[in-house]
Amino acid sequence: MNRLIRAEFRKIFTTRLWWAMLLGAAAFATLATIGQLAGNGVDSAALMSARTQQAVFASATFGDIFTLVVGVIAITTEYRHFTSRPTFLSEPRRGRIVVAKMVAYAILGLGYATACIAVTVAVAVPWLATEHTTVEWQNHDLIWVIAGDLATITAFAVFGLGVGVLVRNQIAAVIAALAYLLVLGPVMQVIPGVKVIYRWLPGAAADAVTDVGHFNDRLLNPWEGLAVFLAWGVLFALSGWWFTVRRDIP
Amino acid sequence: MAELRPSAPEHRGRIVVSGLTKTFPGVRAVKGLSFTVEPGSVTGFLGPNGAGKTTTLRMLLGLAIPTSGTATIGGLAYGDIDDPSRLVGAVLDATSFHPSRTARNHLRVYCAATGLPDTRADEVLDLVGLRAVADRAVRGYSLGMRQRLGLATALLGDPRVLILDEPANGLDPEGIVWLRGFLRDMAEIDGRTVLVSSHVLSEVEQTVDRVVILARGRLIYEGTLAELASERATLVRTPTPDLLISALTGLAGDVRFERGVDDLIYVYGVEPDAVGHAAWLAHIELRELSPRRSDLEKAFLQLTAAGGVGE
Repeated sequence: MNRLIRAEFRKIFTTRLWWAMLLGAAAFATLATIGQLAGNGVDSAALMSARTQQAVFASATFGDIFTLVVGVIAITTEYRHFTSRPTFLSEPRRGRIVVAKMVAYAILGLGYATACIAVTVAVAVPWLATEHTTVEWQNHDLIWVIAGDLATITAFAVFGLGVGVLVRNQIAAVIAALAYLLVLGPVMQVIPGVKVIYRWLPGAAADAVTDVGHFNDRLLNPWEGLAVFLAWGVLFALSGWWFTVRRDIP
Repeated sequence: MAELRPSAPEHRGRIVVSGLTKTFPGVRAVKGLSFTVEPGSVTGFLGPNGAGKTTTLRMLLGLAIPTSGTATIGGLAYGDIDDPSRLVGAVLDATSFHPSRTARNHLRVYCAATGLPDTRADEVLDLVGLRAVADRAVRGYSLGMRQRLGLATALLGDPRVLILDEPANGLDPEGIVWLRGFLRDMAEIDGRTVLVSSHVLSEVEQTVDRVVILARGRLIYEGTLAELASERATLVRTPTPDLLISALTGLAGDVRFERGVDDLIYVYGVEPDAVGHAAWLAHIELRELSPRRSDLEKAFLQLTAAGGVGE
């Protein structure tokens, strides 16, 4: 298994995609953090509130779009360029390839998450300091927000792998993943009736995890969110494994 | 790591396909296919495009799951082989590479996956003559260079069995000569099993000892090239070819015809004497009557064209 994980890392680091996507993730996290801070202007009461501070530190999760796409591409690029063939010839026990990919991309996702959190902290802490505001790490449960950032950004890489296994066409899979996260999710959030379903979907469940104070009533509470989110993770991982083992490799 | 198992080497490298069938939705791509490939020889796996060659190889290599039947290498299904890359090397596509990865990095990925040292990547690059361009991204490679890189990937584990799908595609004449010698050495000197698919017989004619011919998913012929070439044809020239054909159709046995240009007919399945006699009885004028050993390509085309009859 270690061999296969090492092979996955070689695949990752011998093309430039990981680097471009890391830049993208960090840029999104930075912009989202700035947006969140700037939205409160110089109102230090607002900037002091748990709601605002949690939202600011949850901005790192905007990087999850990139871990999702990296995960999708990880699988679909093998089918697109037929490297699936040497890959599954080197290890015909296909389940092991899937597990190796999941481990490798979870580790990579953790790296992305760390970078996103780092830029968020690097922007938010000095910004709040100049507004004569203290960062209430303890009182506002910001540590939990950051733990939530770490978990969700990382897990989106595994979600992406699951999507890539199901939709092998790379462009279709990337578009489907982005359309859900950027368009379908936000739209569902405001449609009456669908709202109830929305909170149980992976994107909303991820948002609930970092909404530690449960300020957004469209979402589940953070613990429910975490449970639902992990359930999605397990579902994506299992379906990725199951379909890879059952279907023919092109 | 590589561990030689005690089983006899000739058994280790034998490929046995038995009753292999693959059905895709609405299409039976491979139908009850059975054949054997022996070590120490180069076997051609032939058939027109779409005959089911690649599907068969994918099943043999565990990439596609057979609808029924079995395909084994050294007595084991591919998925049951420990460390398969040390027993079997295969290339199914000349383009199984990420375009922006270099050849050396491509090979190192599979060195890591199979626990081989990275130095092995350079060894196989030398073997296929790509060392000088090893650090270039594959997107800049010609089809011939990609074929060589595919072969290098297959050779990483120093396998006893080599399975190559259309390896001569895109090779320049020099490359084809090189490949021919390389495959012959693999089989004759090292006693490895070499199975090479192609849709053009002439491409592999000088390389292979035995052929397995496939058409529309069925086995058409399995045997040596010499036997395949021995089917005799009779060349006949007559001003009334249609009359001759109807006269010969009445003869016993399986008579087949092929119209050449103008007044030329090739007759298969009957001796020249019988053709002459039939023409004499029917008062048909003949301008030429000569026995002819059919050339291989023609025999191949005839076999594969006949493969669809009855389905």
